[in-house]
Amino acid sequence: MAGQSRKELTIAMVGSGGDGVVTMGDLMAQAAAREGLHLIKTEAYGPQIRGGESSCTVRWSTIPIHAQGDTIDVMVAFGWGDLERFRGELVPSSNAIVLCEEADPVSLDEMKNAMPEGTRWISVPFARLAKEALGSGPGKNVVTLGLVSELFGLPVATLRRAIDHRFARKGEDVRESNLRAFDSGVAAAQSIESAGSIGPADRLVWSPGKPKILLSGNEATAIGALHAGCRFFAGYPITPSSEILHFLAEWLPRYGGTAVQTEDELAAIGAVIGASFAGVKSMTATSGPGLSLMTEMLGLASMTEVPTVIVNVQRGGPSTGLPTKSEQSDLWQALYGTHGDAPRVVLACSDVEDSFHTTVEAFNISEEFQIPVIVLSDQSISGRRETLSADGFDHEVIDRFLPPEDELEMYERYKDTVSGVSPMSIPGMKGGTYQTNGLEHDEAGRPSSMFLTHEKMNAKRYRKLWPIRDRYRHVHRIGPEDAEIGILCWGSSKGPVEEAVERAIGRGEKVAAFVPRVLYPFPKKELETFLAHIRKFLVIDLSYSAQFYKYLRTFLTLPEEGTHVFKRSGGKNLTVVEIEEEIAKIMKHHRLETSEVLA
Amino acid sequence: MSCSTEEKTLQPGDYKTDLKPVWCPGCGDFGVLTALYRAMAEKQLEPWNSVVISGIGCSSRLPGYVSTYGFNSVHGRALTLALGTKLSRPELNVIAVGGDGDGFAIGGNHFMHAARRNLDIAYIVMDNEIYGLTKGQVAPTTPTGDKTKSTYWGNPEPSLDPCELAVCVGATWVGRGFSGDMKSLVDLMTRAITHRGFSFLNVMSPCVTWRGDDQFKVLKAKLAKIPETHDRTSRAAALAYTREVDVMTTGVLYEIEQPTLVDRMTEIKERARKGRPEATTAEVIQGFYSPF
Repeated sequence: MAGQSRKELTIAMVGSGGDGVVTMGDLMAQAAAREGLHLIKTEAYGPQIRGGESSCTVRWSTIPIHAQGDTIDVMVAFGWGDLERFRGELVPSSNAIVLCEEADPVSLDEMKNAMPEGTRWISVPFARLAKEALGSGPGKNVVTLGLVSELFGLPVATLRRAIDHRFARKGEDVRESNLRAFDSGVAAAQSIESAGSIGPADRLVWSPGKPKILLSGNEATAIGALHAGCRFFAGYPITPSSEILHFLAEWLPRYGGTAVQTEDELAAIGAVIGASFAGVKSMTATSGPGLSLMTEMLGLASMTEVPTVIVNVQRGGPSTGLPTKSEQSDLWQALYGTHGDAPRVVLACSDVEDSFHTTVEAFNISEEFQIPVIVLSDQSISGRRETLSADGFDHEVIDRFLPPEDELEMYERYKDTVSGVSPMSIPGMKGGTYQTNGLEHDEAGRPSSMFLTHEKMNAKRYRKLWPIRDRYRHVHRIGPEDAEIGILCWGSSKGPVEEAVERAIGRGEKVAAFVPRVLYPFPKKELETFLAHIRKFLVIDLSYSAQFYKYLRTFLTLPEEGTHVFKRSGGKNLTVVEIEEEIAKIMKHHRLETSEVLA
Repeated sequence: MSCSTEEKTLQPGDYKTDLKPVWCPGCGDFGVLTALYRAMAEKQLEPWNSVVISGIGCSSRLPGYVSTYGFNSVHGRALTLALGTKLSRPELNVIAVGGDGDGFAIGGNHFMHAARRNLDIAYIVMDNEIYGLTKGQVAPTTPTGDKTKSTYWGNPEPSLDPCELAVCVGATWVGRGFSGDMKSLVDLMTRAITHRGFSFLNVMSPCVTWRGDDQFKVLKAKLAKIPETHDRTSRAAALAYTREVDVMTTGVLYEIEQPTLVDRMTEIKERARKGRPEATTAEVIQGFYSPF
């Protein structure tokens, strides 16, 4: 990067199990939060349970950021072989600095062949430095933390405190030796700096601000649930959503609530429906394979009109797919999954903080309209950590409306009302007893297979979507009103799209983006307003079969002339550079080849 | 289970709804339903504080005929809903009901885990040894060799004894009854509802339509009462009364006391709270500041 100082810096650390790259990332993130800096941390793993290759990327910034940082400024490679396994995922910037292990079995020449010209190389005896500082055992990561923080202008003193705190509980010896290791890394930096390969322009220039919190998407989702008044959670472990189960297992009892790990996802959603039927706000969380199992009782919740919140943290599919990698290919499953006509609401969160708000909204909608709500998150949101201001974590909470006692005379649970919402009593309410049914039923809840009843009750259940469509029009709209190029995307794509739009605006290009937070019922009026001036359309789809584009086509006519669909498999997070390339393409003439997306 | 301390003001008829059962004339499930009304009256269960939950099948229609809160859910999943209802509102009386296909085939996994957890509910199964609602296919409890719609050449599979399974997977109360023996059935149901923990009552409930007139006679002929001397706390003694061939012993086979899932969850809540007030969002968020 040109200029005298850096406003941001992206560092990737790659190693194998035991190298401690994730710990390095954690400590950096905690230090950034303490200093009030902006930081996004992502991790990637091979499929191994323990050991194997792992990478941790931290993007430091002094200004707000929305994406994980798609080109790497500094790469720390403890083992070249491990770095090779992330080829295509970790992309170096044009003049990246690579710190490689001096004693790596792969020769420096061979490494250089694999990287772009202009890459700057620093051979560091990571293992030897650690051995000198600690005698034996691990500690390479702590030495390197000292080295990297000193070289690139990170908050050295705060990082040292982070290490002090982290190792204090492991005993005085461990604490001291780790601090020694860190200091030796700092000292080693001076000799590298004097060699002249790293200049002032490589250093992050920052000043301390108000401390921030450090939070993952899954944690934000779980906190959103607690905030919304969720007091019952049932779930079955599945990557990448399990942290929600873990978090609520710890915290729900502190709220007087209950978290239970069930025998499968069928039981999880069954228990949630049972608890919500009993009047307690309830939620489950899962990923694609679990959502497949839950679709059975998604229909039951829709039919019996029991408020139900399902968080689906997407990963690569189909089947077992890519458990540790992100994708946006559960869209159709969420929109259309389960047999019959089963109204549900589908929301999508776009980043860590938005996971909190979206989860609260899911409860609000579900409780008020007695309808299942699916929240779509994905691995890139759930697993990353961001530094955030704590001020943003508040949201209005709507509670379930219980009919007053006098309304319970001649009580009908499924009374056909104007809004479609009927009074819902809960056990314990004398006079409110009713028997509900997954069978089609009449207004009193009695089973019926009459056509007229079925048509009437279908209409009643679907009618609830209209007030939802009117009141919950949430969209993220990015860019100028008079934009000519319009980007349509959803969920986690928002981050990189937002940065790409900001950069495009900086270049004087008229680009804007529309990111719906409610995917169903879709905020169509808002979309129409957005599209008023748009001449060219770019649809971003992290699904090989372009699920989002095809969904849009069910209610939106996009002209072949001037529409471009960028779709690809998940497995790699969307990058700002990718979107910039697509914007450049559409700036030139582009005609949509429908055969590309309508396979 | 919570129940009224007043005099016995609730009569069996108070538990009836105005819905007429869809069951065939002569179906054993009528007897089970009547016994349930009587047992609930015996226990004076307040309908508004009670929930009856079922899956799918002929017998799973039962909640529609009981004036409590009721939930006729989907096939095999009654116990999953019961788990949520009981854990979220432990003060409610929760009774799950269903058939043998619902409970031991499609819902077999949930049966095992509800028992293992010692979920404090009563689970009453109407076992007719056949799939009735779908018109006569083989069930896990259909005797080997029997001809059904889906076993044209005779059932090639060994059958399951649900009571044996229940004892083995951790139920703390296991009983067997017969829909044709009303007096004993009311007593068994009352005891099942009274028991603290997971109580499982398998009621032989003949299907006149798909198992023929003979089933009732065959079952009645095999009927034997469990001896007074039976040690109900002995797992081995209980298991001796399972997989019987020429006799069918009814009564309480097994009964032990164990902490229920609700007991353990309550203890967890107390341990987590330590007398502190309910946590708040601000308190949770506070924990995400760097700890140094």
